[in-house]
Amino acid sequence: MHGYAIARRIKETSGDALIVEEGSLYPALNRMLVKGWLTAKWGISENNRKARFYQLTPEGRAVLRQEEKQFQSLVNAIFQVMHSA
Amino acid sequence: MWDELRRRLGYFWRRKNFDSELDEEIRFHLDTRLDELMQAGLSDREARLQARREFGRQGPVREDSRTAWQFRLVEDLMADLRYAGRAIRRNPAFAAAAVLSLALGIGANLAIFSLTMEFLFSRPSVHDPESLAYVILGGGSNAAPEQYRFLKDAHAFEGLAGMNPETETNWRNGDNTYRLWGTRVTDNFFDVTGTPVAKGRPIHAGDQREAVLSDQFWRGRLGGDPNILGRGLVFDGQLYTVAGILPPDHRTLIGFGFSPDLYLTIDPSTAGNETTVMLYARLPAQMTRQAAYSHLLALCGDLDKIFPRTEYKWSNNTEIRGVTGLDRLKLLYGMPIAPFFGMLTTVVGLILLIACANVASLLLARAASRQHELAVRQSIGASRGRIIRQLLAESLLLAILGTVAGLLLNFALAGLANRIQPPLPVPVRLHIQPDWRLLSYAIGLATASTLLCGLMPAMRATTRDVQAALKLGERSVAARLGFRRVLVVAQLTVSVVLLLTGFLFLRNLSLSNSLSPGFDIHHTVWAYVRLVPERYSSKDPAESKSKIERLANRAVEQLRGLPGVESAATAAIVPLNDNVKIGNDIRVDAHSDAQHPLYTANWIGPDYLKTMGIPLLAGREFLATDRQGAPLVVILNQSMAHVLFGDRNPVGHTLRFHDDPPETVVGVAKNSKYFSLGEDDLPAVYWPDAQSSRAAVNLNFMLRTQHPESILKEVNNALGAIDATAAIDVKPMNRALGLALLPSRAGAALLGSMGALGLLLAALGLYGVLTYSVARRIREIGIRVALGAEPATVGYLVLRSSLALAGAGLALGGVLGYFAAGPLAMFLVPELSPHDPAIFAGVFATLLLVAIAATLSPTIRALRIDPVVALRYE
Repeated sequence: MHGYAIARRIKETSGDALIVEEGSLYPALNRMLVKGWLTAKWGISENNRKARFYQLTPEGRAVLRQEEKQFQSLVNAIFQVMHSA
Repeated sequence: MWDELRRRLGYFWRRKNFDSELDEEIRFHLDTRLDELMQAGLSDREARLQARREFGRQGPVREDSRTAWQFRLVEDLMADLRYAGRAIRRNPAFAAAAVLSLALGIGANLAIFSLTMEFLFSRPSVHDPESLAYVILGGGSNAAPEQYRFLKDAHAFEGLAGMNPETETNWRNGDNTYRLWGTRVTDNFFDVTGTPVAKGRPIHAGDQREAVLSDQFWRGRLGGDPNILGRGLVFDGQLYTVAGILPPDHRTLIGFGFSPDLYLTIDPSTAGNETTVMLYARLPAQMTRQAAYSHLLALCGDLDKIFPRTEYKWSNNTEIRGVTGLDRLKLLYGMPIAPFFGMLTTVVGLILLIACANVASLLLARAASRQHELAVRQSIGASRGRIIRQLLAESLLLAILGTVAGLLLNFALAGLANRIQPPLPVPVRLHIQPDWRLLSYAIGLATASTLLCGLMPAMRATTRDVQAALKLGERSVAARLGFRRVLVVAQLTVSVVLLLTGFLFLRNLSLSNSLSPGFDIHHTVWAYVRLVPERYSSKDPAESKSKIERLANRAVEQLRGLPGVESAATAAIVPLNDNVKIGNDIRVDAHSDAQHPLYTANWIGPDYLKTMGIPLLAGREFLATDRQGAPLVVILNQSMAHVLFGDRNPVGHTLRFHDDPPETVVGVAKNSKYFSLGEDDLPAVYWPDAQSSRAAVNLNFMLRTQHPESILKEVNNALGAIDATAAIDVKPMNRALGLALLPSRAGAALLGSMGALGLLLAALGLYGVLTYSVARRIREIGIRVALGAEPATVGYLVLRSSLALAGAGLALGGVLGYFAAGPLAMFLVPELSPHDPAIFAGVFATLLLVAIAATLSPTIRALRIDPVVALRYE
């Protein structure tokens, strides 16, 4: 997806609860490119404009899984504390 | 990690495109949002405004996106260096002074480094020097042909070759005979060592009477003849074929710049002494030196059976040594050459310290004037570390420029050094070439200089107390002079040490020049004759001896007859040019207990002492009657007489050396110098050459004459007439002392110039600080003059402060110098103590003069200033 689509997707899927600060979107994308978690390619968007499309690399996928696991255990921990009270 | 590095490098190449691509991406983002908003019903203008508002400020977005890719440090460094470059261009005088100081300091260090590396640690031009070893058998540096053959046939190593570098050879070219320095080698030498040749081919196993010439000999004496290969040249009366030419940068296994004219095969006709060889073994691939040593010890057992020796076994003092690096330094047998280079390196390091102190002082002055600007930067948000990094970049740039200039200086000096041929009895040539070792050392020096010069000023320029610095106002602040004063005192201290060293060596030289060697060098001529071995050698050593003796006697008679010659004599050894040390059991008269002194010896003809001007203290000289068959006689020198006989007169007593028949002492000679001008008194004995069995083809004729220069040609002709095939070299004795004086001359030249260089740099530093300190006091001076002070009083005031600095430096330097000078004693003649008060006084006086001179100019300028102007000076 291209950068704008990523931001819009996050916003829509979370029902406007999570809004990506656009000022931090592109720096973050570039950091992930440096780390090799994404690759980028120029292409044509749905409205016929030239846009840069990003894609996860296998390494990026692995990192995503890792982060997801960590987030999940964090959430579980919080639940535990709240339900034991 | 490496992938990330690669990706970042990729960015580095695409830097320009990145910005425009990011632009396009942001534009796309905004346009897409614009479309959405317009579809939702906003007008074009409103949509645009909203889209942009939502996106936020673009500047940080671009900056942060870019930063994700950059090598932070490298980008910062590049920016800092560019900034430093601009600063330097704005202050060319300051930059010139700093770069010059560093160039001199670093250049001197690089020069000494190159010299030391090449002289002490050159790599021999052989294949794989690490697997080559020098074999010492039974404590002897050379091995006899029998032992060589035995070890070679035993296949103890992958290859065993022999080399004798101490051979001279007569080269007959037309009517002239020249004396060359050749190295005799076994036929497999080039194969075993893998020494490369530049033209032609090396000597191969099985070759006979082949020669490989050095590049210098081929170009210098043969005019670089392109058809030289395969031609024959006559060496020692035999025809040798030229097989090849060595490369110009050939370095021998001996090292230390030793550079023979050619390599020759050892042939059946080669004279006796020259067939002993130094053994070089090529160790098989897996064999360590330890293993080789054990292997060798086993073979020594076999040697004991086949070539038994009475006093010791073959395994005594047997050694396997490497041919590179520190192992090779053992060849120097305790000559203080390595310590000399160590001292040179230290001295030149001190010079660099002085130069760095100069630059640090300059940087301090500059930094002080920028304190306000730097405080402003810190208050905006620059971290202290960041500013320090930027200031260090300035000193880095200076250090880089200084190093480049220093390298150029080094190349120039190296070129000079490579052309020098020191007056040594063996040919020595250096091939100093820049290599990676020099480059790494240069980089190390540059880094060290950067830190030394820049760190302290950088830290002092950026202060923790930003508020206070900001309040100081924009104009140049009256910076505290304290630290610069410390630097100057340090420079002066180090200069004292440097000057001390320089003065000591200069005085040493003048003393050496005036040292009496104990014999007359101004009325003596030395004629060296090398006979062609073939014509005088025969199976019976006694026969060769008598042939040579007859020739020598005829020569002496002829020489005595020459006009102007007062007396003439033969000598086996010419003092201060070569010598032997012997340790032996000596028994006096009939006593059975022996003394065991170390002594030197010479085999001389009649009239030797008279010819050399060595006084005879008792008894008589040798006569023509002291020859073979006559009673054995010996002459002692004072020290030897004292050791063996105490205060008694030794004349008439007998001595027994080891197991030899008894000899009668017939005379006592005054002490003279034998090895070096600076030596302590050494016991010595003289034997009549006629009564020895020596049959050397090297003859020395000493002549006494009032005007040495005028008879050189006649002596040459007279000797040439007796044997036309001999190589003859005639010179006045005072020229022959070049070797003896070489250490003092080299020491004086090197250390004297370094002392001067250090003093110059310190003087510059002192001048800089004093100028600055006077400039600070211009208002004060103006007030004093306006109030009526005499110029002299004001001048004295300024002078006093500079003398205080100088005094502190001298005091510290004196103490430091006292301790530093102690170890120098090993390089100086015994008459000169390293703590000689006259030298210390001279050093102090010189530095005081320099201090006063450095103060003079700024003081005079200060006094000339119009008081009105001075009062307004900020």
